[in-house]
Formats: sequence, structure tokens, C-alpha cells
Amino acid sequence: MIEVRNIHHCLSGKMIIDELSFELNTGELLCVLGPNGAGKSTLLKLLSGESHCKSGQVLYNKQAIHELNPKQLSKIRAVMPQHSTVSFPFSAKEIIMIGSDLNKNELAKTLAEVTKLTKVDQLLDRPYQQLSGGEKQRVQLARVLMQIWKDAPYPRFLFLDEPTSSLDIAQQYQVFEIVKSLKSKNIGILAVVHDINLAAQSADKVLLLKSGRAMAFGTTDEIITKENISRTFDHQVLIQAHPITQKPLIISNINQNYHAKTYGNISYAN
Amino acid sequence: MSLIGAMLLILIAAMMLSAVVGAYQLSLNDIFHVISYQLGFTKDQPKPELLAVFWNIRLPRILLGAMVGAALAIAGAALQGLFRNPLVESGLIGVSSGGALMVVILIVFSNIISLEIAPIFIQLLQPLVAFIGGLLLTIAAYKLSKVGSKADISLLILSGVAINALAGALIGLTLYFADDAAIRNFTFWSLGDLGGANWLKIGISAPLILGSIGYLLNTAKPLNLLSLGESEAFHMGLSVEKVKTGIILAVAMAVGVSVAFTGIIGFVGLVIPHIIRLLIGADHKLVLPLSVLLGASFLVLADLASRVVVSPSELPIGIITSLAGAPFFIWLLINFKKKSRV
Repeated sequence: MIEVRNIHHCLSGKMIIDELSFELNTGELLCVLGPNGAGKSTLLKLLSGESHCKSGQVLYNKQAIHELNPKQLSKIRAVMPQHSTVSFPFSAKEIIMIGSDLNKNELAKTLAEVTKLTKVDQLLDRPYQQLSGGEKQRVQLARVLMQIWKDAPYPRFLFLDEPTSSLDIAQQYQVFEIVKSLKSKNIGILAVVHDINLAAQSADKVLLLKSGRAMAFGTTDEIITKENISRTFDHQVLIQAHPITQKPLIISNINQNYHAKTYGNISYAN
Repeated sequence: MSLIGAMLLILIAAMMLSAVVGAYQLSLNDIFHVISYQLGFTKDQPKPELLAVFWNIRLPRILLGAMVGAALAIAGAALQGLFRNPLVESGLIGVSSGGALMVVILIVFSNIISLEIAPIFIQLLQPLVAFIGGLLLTIAAYKLSKVGSKADISLLILSGVAINALAGALIGLTLYFADDAAIRNFTFWSLGDLGGANWLKIGISAPLILGSIGYLLNTAKPLNLLSLGESEAFHMGLSVEKVKTGIILAVAMAVGVSVAFTGIIGFVGLVIPHIIRLLIGADHKLVLPLSVLLGASFLVLADLASRVVVSPSELPIGIITSLAGAPFFIWLLINFKKKSRV
């Protein structure tokens, strides 16, 4: 379990994360939603150990994050970046296996399983730089999965930074289906997501972030409400049930927003 | 592995060719005779001129050329990996001129203040000051060009221009105080020259250069990780700052010592890793060792060309490497333009 306790972070005197607490369990997909500049990327940096918070604590399986060195951290958590540029002509397979310290048999087995799951097994010999955006994203996903795929006696975690930002709708759901299948592997997943509907359909839990503060944290059904979303994004929305999954479906309330922009007085009451 | 074997054979062939060809022609028999005599395998003494030409002049020159070629090529490959950009080279970003500046200052000022220093001490001091100069300017180029987690190439080139100009001006200023002989020596040295190779220089430079090459050969996995980006490398378990520091130190050592003894030899660090990547892709586990072997072969052959083209006189080797390297660099730029147009 990852426990985030009252973390606080500022950069050049500006508050980025303020008094934030939540937790992430294995077998759980937690989506972090919030407007631009809410502190989502900074939160990921604090969670991954890339930055250290000014106060408060991040605990990995009860151990404080600053007690773990990069090597130890890399066995517990993997991070998929939003964009990845690779400056040299690596093949897709080389990117996926990069840095792996598995032995030969484990490597072959893990590579086969991971590339099958992420549907990149046909791309392995292609130059990475010539792949399409969706293919690159899947190769990167395969790369980070290699890092935490091998069964371990301790819980592992995967952080995704807007994994679907450059993907079309089919690819977006494909990536989330892959990610959801990891829940059975003693892995907890935290994804920063822009598309509220994608989160509403996929997430077990949701953290709403605004100006570095948690607006709400809990199960998806509890948190994705008309009032919470409108308040977090300063934008009036309507919520309906998805005709098939019955999960919340968020629709922009265009007239209300036009009215509010023109005349002010946004009311968040139901 | 077979590629490494093939490159090793090319290197051995280049060294043997360079050993026999020259103003004084030798046969392979002569060479083996001298080597086995010097190593004590035979008591049969070779002709004195054979000993002088091969053992005292040509062999140290070939060995120094191979070491410097290997050092420049692997330093180029490592810098390219570190900066995440295939167009970086130690000469381009000012590492070599940092070393050169310090050496010139040492030579000229130790002359002027007529220090009663033994020449051997100057020879020992040269690589040290070149290392410091190279190190300072590598760090300067890195800090100046870094934006976020990536070195920005236009900033890097511009900072290289600025650093090279500053070092050039300071070298010029230093030479203003030098006498004619020092200036002529400097001019030849600055174009690159293996002619002064002797066993003393080999003895001083071998541990330093081979040590840094050995260190850099071990950075293949970190360099692979770094080519994804510094954040990504950290996420995958790399202690990024530690690795970067080690690579910068080793590059400054390899290039600084090379520059101290042979002057600035351009384009080896740019061209060699490029050719290797065209042949086998980007995996540093192969790029680094193959760059060592091809860089060594290339410089041995370039030195051979510099000896025979205007024989019995000699061209500075830097002219040969630049004549071969600059057109290659222009070809790369044209290719780069074509690619970015699509």
C-alpha cells in the first residue's frame, strides 16, 4: 500500500501541493482528475521519488520513500511518462528490454507475456522512431511493465501520466483494458487522466485535485457527482447513467456555462 | 560478438599496414624480428636503423594513435548518449579547446618565467592540466545547454561556439607572449600531430586513457537508460547524477590526455559512433566497444595517410581527419534536413 500523509510541496515560493492525503492499494485503479495546473504532475514526481516533499510523508508498504534508493524503488514502482522521445535508432524490442536485469529465461518469458498483453509482439523488430503514436505508447507501456512484471512477495505500483493523451478512442480504451488487467497481479495503479469519462468508466477510486488540494477522494460512484466535478473544473456538468455500464457519464452543460460566462453567478447547487 | 572480432582484425591489419609503410619501408619479418628481440625471445640483434625506425619512432606512434583514436571515439559516443543527441562531439562543445588552452598556458608560461622544471615534469603536468581544462568546459557546456531534463542542441552548439571562441582568444593572448619557436610548435600541435610520440608519452598516457576507456565501456547500460530521458532513467533505477558525473570525468580525462599529447584531432568522436550506429543500431553495449576499435583503426590509418601523402614530409593528422570528417558531417546535416522536411 502507498500512503500519502499530509504532503506539502512548493516551488519558488508557490504552493503546488497542499495538505494532501490519500492511499493506493494493490488491485486498485486510482484516477487523479483535475484542471490544468492542479499539481497532478508534481504529485506524480513526489510519488515516484523524483522530487521530495517539503513536509509530510509518502510511505511505500510502510517504508518512507526517502529511505529507498533508486534501484530499490525501481523494483516497487514503474512510471510511464506522458511523452517519450528516444534520440537514437533503437528497435521496439530494445526499448522494451532496456535496463532489464532479468536472467535469460525470465527475460524471454516476461517479454513474451508482456508483449502479448500490450499487443506489440508484431512490432518488436521495427525501429521505435518509425512507430505511430499509439504504437509508441504501447511499447512504452510494455517497457514499464517489464520492470514490475515478475511476481514479487511485496505489492508493486504503476504510475501513468496521461497515458491516453495522444490516442484515439479505441486506443484509449485498449490501454485502460490492459491496465485494468494488472489489478490481479498484486499491482496498484495510479493514473493521471484528462478524460473524466474514461476515468468514470474505468477507475475504482478517484482523487479530485484542484490548486494542489484534494477536493474529494473515494470510490468512483461516490466522487463523480455533478457538484464535485463542477466545483473542481469550474464548469457546469450534468451526470447521467451510462446506458450499458450504469456508471456515471459526464456531459458539459453548455447553456449553463454560456450563461455563467456572460452573466457570472455560477451556482453549484443541484 | 563476430562484429567485435571483425573490427579487431581490421585494427590489427591497420596497425600492421601502418608499421610497414612509410618513408622507410619495412617488411613484416623485420617487425616481428624487432618485437621478439625487444621482448627477449631472440638474441639475434636487428639492424640499428631498424630498431630506431620501428621501435623508437613508428611503434610508439601507432600505439599512441590507436589509443587516442579509441579515446576520442568512445568519448564522442558517451557524450552523445549523455546529451541525448547524435551530433555532439568533444571538439564541438569545447572540451578539446579547454584542454588545449590549459596546455598552451602551461607551455608558454613555464617558458617565460624560465622555471627550472625538468621536461619530464612538464610532460607529466600536461595531461593533468588538460584534464582540468576539459572537465571545466564539459561541465560548462552541460550546464549552459540543459533545459529541463534534456540538453537543448541549439543552446549546446551556441555555448560550444562561445566556449571555443573564448578559449581561442585566450590561447591567442597567451601566444602573444610566446616566442617564434613556441608559436610554430603550437600551430602544428593545434592541427593535431602524432609525430612526437615516444615511450615516455605512452607510459604516461596509457594508464589514464585506457583507464577512462575501461570505465566508459562499463557505462553501456546507464547510457541506454539515459537515452530514454533522465526522469525515465531514474524511474528505472539509475542513480542519474552519479552516473553523469562519472561519465563527464572519464570523458574529460580521455579527451584531455589525448589533446595534451596529440593536439586537437577533430571529427573522430562524431563520425565513428555514427558509422557504428548506421551498421548495428543504437545499443550502447555494442556501440561503445565497436567505437573503440573503429576509432583506433581510423586514427592509425589517418596517421599513415598523413605520413605518406606528402612523404618524406608530413601533414598534420587533424587535416586528414577533418578532410574525411567535415564532409561526413555536412552529409549528416543534409540528411537531417531531408528527414525534418517530411
